[in-house]
Amino acid sequence: MTGYDVVGGVMVLRSLASRLAVWVLSGATVVFVASGFLLFRMVGRQLVQQAHRETEALASQGGSLIQERMDKVTNTARVLAAIIGPRPLDAEPLIRDAMAQNSDLAGLAAAFTPDTAAVKSVGRSPFVSRQYNGALVHRDLLKDPVPYWTAPWFKKGVDCDQGCWQAPFLSQSRHRQLVSYSSAMRVDGQVIGVVNADVTLDWLQGVLLSMDIPAGIHAFVVDQQGTYLANDTPGLVGKRADPALLGILQADDATNGWSNMPLQDQQGQAVGIYSQPIRGTDWNLALVVPDELIYAGVRQAFLSVLVIGALALLLLALLTMVIIRRLLTPLGVLAERAEFVARGALDFALPKVRRADEVGRLTGAFDKMRLELAAHLVELTRIAREQERLASELEIAQQIQTALLPGPHYLDARCQNFELYAALKPARTVGGDLYSYFMLPGQRFCVIIGDVADKGIPAALFMARTITLAKAMSSRAQTPQHLLQLLNRELCKNNDNCMFVTLLCGFLDAVSGNMAMASAGHDPPVLWGHAARPQLLSLASGPALGLEEDASYPIHRIRLKPGDTLLMYTDGVTEATNAALNPYGGERIIARIGEYHDHDEKPADPVKFLVDDIEQYSAGYGQADDIAVLALRWNHVGLEKGASMLELVFSASLQDVFDTLTRCDSTLRMAGVRHDVQSDVRLVLEELMVNMVQHGHSDEREATIGLRLTVAEEAILVELSHNGAAFDPLQSTTHRLTDDTAEKEEIGGLGLHLVRAMASELSYTHDEYGNHLQLRFACSYLKEHEHGL
Amino acid sequence: MAFNLHIDALNPRRSTLHLEGRLDAMTFGEFDKEAEKVLQQMATGSTLVLDLSSLEYISSAGLRSIAKARKSMRAREGQTLLLNPQVQVRKVFDIVKAVPIKEIFQDMQELDQYLDQIQRKMMSESDDVE
Repeated sequence: MTGYDVVGGVMVLRSLASRLAVWVLSGATVVFVASGFLLFRMVGRQLVQQAHRETEALASQGGSLIQERMDKVTNTARVLAAIIGPRPLDAEPLIRDAMAQNSDLAGLAAAFTPDTAAVKSVGRSPFVSRQYNGALVHRDLLKDPVPYWTAPWFKKGVDCDQGCWQAPFLSQSRHRQLVSYSSAMRVDGQVIGVVNADVTLDWLQGVLLSMDIPAGIHAFVVDQQGTYLANDTPGLVGKRADPALLGILQADDATNGWSNMPLQDQQGQAVGIYSQPIRGTDWNLALVVPDELIYAGVRQAFLSVLVIGALALLLLALLTMVIIRRLLTPLGVLAERAEFVARGALDFALPKVRRADEVGRLTGAFDKMRLELAAHLVELTRIAREQERLASELEIAQQIQTALLPGPHYLDARCQNFELYAALKPARTVGGDLYSYFMLPGQRFCVIIGDVADKGIPAALFMARTITLAKAMSSRAQTPQHLLQLLNRELCKNNDNCMFVTLLCGFLDAVSGNMAMASAGHDPPVLWGHAARPQLLSLASGPALGLEEDASYPIHRIRLKPGDTLLMYTDGVTEATNAALNPYGGERIIARIGEYHDHDEKPADPVKFLVDDIEQYSAGYGQADDIAVLALRWNHVGLEKGASMLELVFSASLQDVFDTLTRCDSTLRMAGVRHDVQSDVRLVLEELMVNMVQHGHSDEREATIGLRLTVAEEAILVELSHNGAAFDPLQSTTHRLTDDTAEKEEIGGLGLHLVRAMASELSYTHDEYGNHLQLRFACSYLKEHEHGL
Repeated sequence: MAFNLHIDALNPRRSTLHLEGRLDAMTFGEFDKEAEKVLQQMATGSTLVLDLSSLEYISSAGLRSIAKARKSMRAREGQTLLLNPQVQVRKVFDIVKAVPIKEIFQDMQELDQYLDQIQRKMMSESDDVE
């Protein structure tokens, strides 16, 4: 389970939701940082400006406050100077009253210039000072050991027309640092002395401290000489200020306001200085504001923004995660199910999604796909099973088809008169080519080769039908053309598909080597012998079987000489194609068989030779059509013992007929045919031949009758041909036979009735050569010597 | 010696023709000619016996000749009886049903009995008339 968890964790990281959340968060962070930075810049600037304004206001306020207090001092001094000038005698009481009235003052003096009328009239320079305890002390300055009129302050006071502040000084008598304002007294434009008002620096300090100065900001008052007149750090009062500080203050002298010069205080911190000149003096009120103090606000604002932003971001992240997870959960399930599908498992349930968005549609489509896939799989399985069944059925069909064919080699075992080789190669599992051979009664051997149009199963079925019908009908047919006729008529029945088969059929007389052949649109066979080169045997052909019900098939007779081979094949041979798409062709068959023929040590089987050659030829293209090849070699070892034959052609006259009958008799007798059978044969032949003589008149040519009589082991076979008018003895009306034939005037049907009754088999064909009759007399019992008769 | 016809002493009431050899399309003319002579002399109601014991072979032409003889005898209200046909000939008769079975006899004795029977029958019939 741990492994699953690990995989699950990786999956979570790799999931679409996480990635989407990460991307959204990254974007939000970038936006937040950028906007925060901008905000910080803007807000910071505003805060700094505000701090400047506040400081400015503070300085202005402080300046006003100090100035206000100073003004009281300077006003007092000026008023006193103006009053005392004309009336020097009132100086002392005035000063005393002013001191009593104005607690700001630390001391007041009316110092007369010596040698003036005033001095002479008053006789003293009064000075009142305030003690620590608040008690006022009177003194006459004239009595001071050091003459005051030589002191710098006096000189400056005399010269100072409008009154001015002196530099601070340490009063020896009062032990205090003081600063004084001097205003000249005049009489008639003549300066008679100076009114001097003292204030302590402690007082100024008190004024400064009475300002509402925020913590962290230093305030001080400094005069033009750089001496601290007041300072919120009391120890510095009266001391000289830092030259650097002075430099800044003096540089900014003209423009009161904020100094942008970098400066550091005693602690090494960056500070800003704001100076405000105090009117009426040459003093400056300066505020030292540490940068720290200004930016602390900005920093705090930024910090709060940062915290709020981070919180908002976190919230956004959570919200994004939750929403995306919620949105994409069905997608995850779908992905999981899709993996099921990939493994082949289709039986699962999908979560119910009622949403109409893409996920909903995807889920719906996926479910539909799953169902259809399942149905499709079922269908596929069914089809596969069906195909398997079809394949096995096809295999069985092939076995059945193979079973329909006789073996590829046949040797006439009894007398080795002939030998047969055959081969059949269907292009598919089953095919439409066919060959067959079988013995017929009466030492006849039937050979069939055929090619059903089309390939595959329909052709195979038609082939089976053809081969079965051919076998079944061969016993009824006396000649190949008759067999073809019968087959054709049968195959035409219910042949709506117009399937057809080309067929080459040969009846070999296993005794004589005579062969009758008939072709239904089939390729011509090839014949060669010991001395004869292979050549195509062009046969007149009828239409293919299954097309025209009334078709007739011309017969072609050849006599096989010992060593002759007759090769039959289907068009799969001539149409076999090589890689260059050239057909094998009939000429190549002749050429290759010629090579085979010329070979000194040729293999016995010409069929195998040819089939191998075709296979080699068409190796590059593959077999396109069914191939069937059949070769029949006539060895003619000799007539079977006891078999005999008679073949005659004679003019259709009664005399010749009876001569022939006599010869037949003797042949049959020589062959040991039983007497009653001899009589049957004679009777039938007489009836038929007399009929031919009497009724079969032919105007154009001399009427002849051909007779071929073969005594085989089990049958007597007779072929009768006549070039007269067409007449089918089988079709003549059957007379109703009464007990007394004498009642009938014409009893011509009698003979044919006898014929039909006597012959075991009788068949009739008519072609351009005339009428052909095939007769067969059953003769399993006919050998006299075998029955001891 | 394909066919030979031997005639017993001529009797207008009852004559016997002995057929030998083969009666076929080649020989039926000979038989017809000889038989005609005999038939002309046969009386009304007479009997013609054809002895087939030596006839080896008969074809439809021969059957026709025998049929003609039968017809001729019938015109005289006579009858034609066949005596002792050999297996082969009998087979042909059987196939074509040329002759009623009752007119074929195995030997002369059987034939005589048959003729006596008929004679007696005819006698009683004439008695009845009288």
